[in-house]
Amino acid sequence: MPTENIKAGPPLLEVRELSLSFHDPGKTGAAPAAQRLAIDRISFSITAGSTLGLVGASGAGKSSIARAIMRLVKPDAGEILFNGDNILDMAPGELKAIRRRVQLVFQNPSASLSPRRSVAQTLLEPLEHFAMGDAHYRHERVEQTLQTVGLGAEVLQRFPHQFSSGQQQRIAIARALVTDPDLLIADEAVSSLDVSVQAQILQLIQSLQQRHGIAFLFISHDLAVIRQIADQVAVMYGGQILENSPADHFFSRPAHPYSQALLAFAGQQSIAQPVERQLRLIRGRDSSHHTPACVYADGCADRMAVCQSTEPGIHQINYKNRNMTGQHCVKCHLYGSGKTHDS
Amino acid sequence: MSRVALKVDKLSVWFGTTSARRQVVDNVSFRIGAGEAVGLVGESGCGKSATALAILGLLPTTTATVEADGVEINGRDIFSLSAAQRRRILGRDVAMVFQQPATALDPVFTLGQQIGAVYRRHTGISKKEVQLAMLGALEQVGFGRPEEIASAYPHQLSGGMQQLAMIAMATMCKPAVLIADEPTTALDNSTQAMIQHQLKRLQTDHNTAILLISHDLGVIRQSCREVMVMYCGRLVEKTDCDSLYAHPRHPYSAGLLSCIPQISATRPAGISAIPGQVPPATELPPGCHFAPRCNRAESQCRQSIPVLDTGLDRDVACFRQL
Repeated sequence: MPTENIKAGPPLLEVRELSLSFHDPGKTGAAPAAQRLAIDRISFSITAGSTLGLVGASGAGKSSIARAIMRLVKPDAGEILFNGDNILDMAPGELKAIRRRVQLVFQNPSASLSPRRSVAQTLLEPLEHFAMGDAHYRHERVEQTLQTVGLGAEVLQRFPHQFSSGQQQRIAIARALVTDPDLLIADEAVSSLDVSVQAQILQLIQSLQQRHGIAFLFISHDLAVIRQIADQVAVMYGGQILENSPADHFFSRPAHPYSQALLAFAGQQSIAQPVERQLRLIRGRDSSHHTPACVYADGCADRMAVCQSTEPGIHQINYKNRNMTGQHCVKCHLYGSGKTHDS
Repeated sequence: MSRVALKVDKLSVWFGTTSARRQVVDNVSFRIGAGEAVGLVGESGCGKSATALAILGLLPTTTATVEADGVEINGRDIFSLSAAQRRRILGRDVAMVFQQPATALDPVFTLGQQIGAVYRRHTGISKKEVQLAMLGALEQVGFGRPEEIASAYPHQLSGGMQQLAMIAMATMCKPAVLIADEPTTALDNSTQAMIQHQLKRLQTDHNTAILLISHDLGVIRQSCREVMVMYCGRLVEKTDCDSLYAHPRHPYSAGLLSCIPQISATRPAGISAIPGQVPPATELPPGCHFAPRCNRAESQCRQSIPVLDTGLDRDVACFRQL
């Protein structure tokens, strides 16, 4: 995707101040029926044809965002605008039209494909559900989509168990593509695959970006994977987005201490002492006692007194270097005084 | 090399009945010294897990045939042992960490019960002492509040925490040999680092020999000095990690290395991958099994089988080495 197009286009998806909490049924050590805040006032946008890489450790709230956008869960507050329309206000009929245009690919292909449906049945179902075209069109569309993901018509009558995990993920991607969506949400879509199969699927995603102009919300815990395909990177921790920046900025000069720690981890070639020596139960915060602090304060190497008493605002980083364009936002007290991030 | 902790001599494994059996491990030999870590790498379906399960004698005798000149753990040939004798060794002298902790752990027992049971069986000490040792083991692998983990059921923990608990279980008896089958696959970077740190500690503190199985050469490089590359049941390259990274000789090793995504300052223009996929054991091509996917293959590769050449600096099974 050429950069100019990304900047010029209106956002395809815009999420504003989205919050989502879950009721804790009372697991070990938790107060029963406590509210767990999974997403905490999150805002971001994705331009048509561009890819946002959403990164963070397990439990950061990444998948909750995906589920909220698909309206599989009901957020507490905020807006999710698709081409300017808030999908949280939509009637079922309107929502159905949106779902054709936003599709989801899951982590584990063998669990997300029905074992009792052939490839043909799996791929025809979305077309039938959305009443797209006649029978002839549907069959053509299925074969064309299979070709896009690198499979031939000979697989149509086979069942998921007859495929390798890489082929299964191709089928799952084909199922998402068959309705000709504008946005694909890929939730850890390559994490359970072998490195060799992962590389093949990433090649496929790259061609979907370049040839079909599909926008992606690409969720992954793996920064190296994000590097291969993201235009923009958002870092999540404790239900909040701590940094959101063009990928080139992020990987050359990450601003938030958590992003820096993540990149240091990912880049290490030998075993270093893990930063988080003590594994804590990360289950989201208890929203009933909301503390006015930075969510990352406990783990932060650059912690200041203010970090434990005041929640940081979202600051924009200015560059002196003219080659660095695009908004680079960071939610951290270190950048509170409008500092430039240049040397 | 230090004292040999695990010695595998000419191990072969077939699946299926004698009339329609297919070979999944083909004449594999290696040894691991005490306190050393060796990686076994290859794509899914290359026979890595079958090798591990065969070493432990965990393959069902009804559907699998295992042949070997010898598999020795601390100098004892475990294939010559009776089932009862072997049970005394499994979990004590040799332990395994499985790929999917969620399925390896029993859902109806707490983690404390499961971890303690292994230790109790092999030591025969009192419940109270087992309890203390179990909590100590959980603390060792990095749990801040071990009592909370011990009283939890597997489904209450995340995948990374389950895996750390598995490692606590596998290491309580301080085994001479630990086989870890994809212990960090699908875990995030920081959890992955924590698990690798634990494996390293076991190696240095208790002189445990580790066989680390993974499809990711990046993971292996972080933990192992030596690496074996497996394709379709055969070892195709065997060398130290640094040499393999600097200069892979087998085209398959080179392909696996090129698949690892890298974090670079500029976004890479393209993504490289090995074309095609691992053939099923029923449809192995003649000659070098990798030939159909190899861009260096010539007629010799499709006709004869390259042997794992015990060359000067490393072993490579390839006619057209890089």
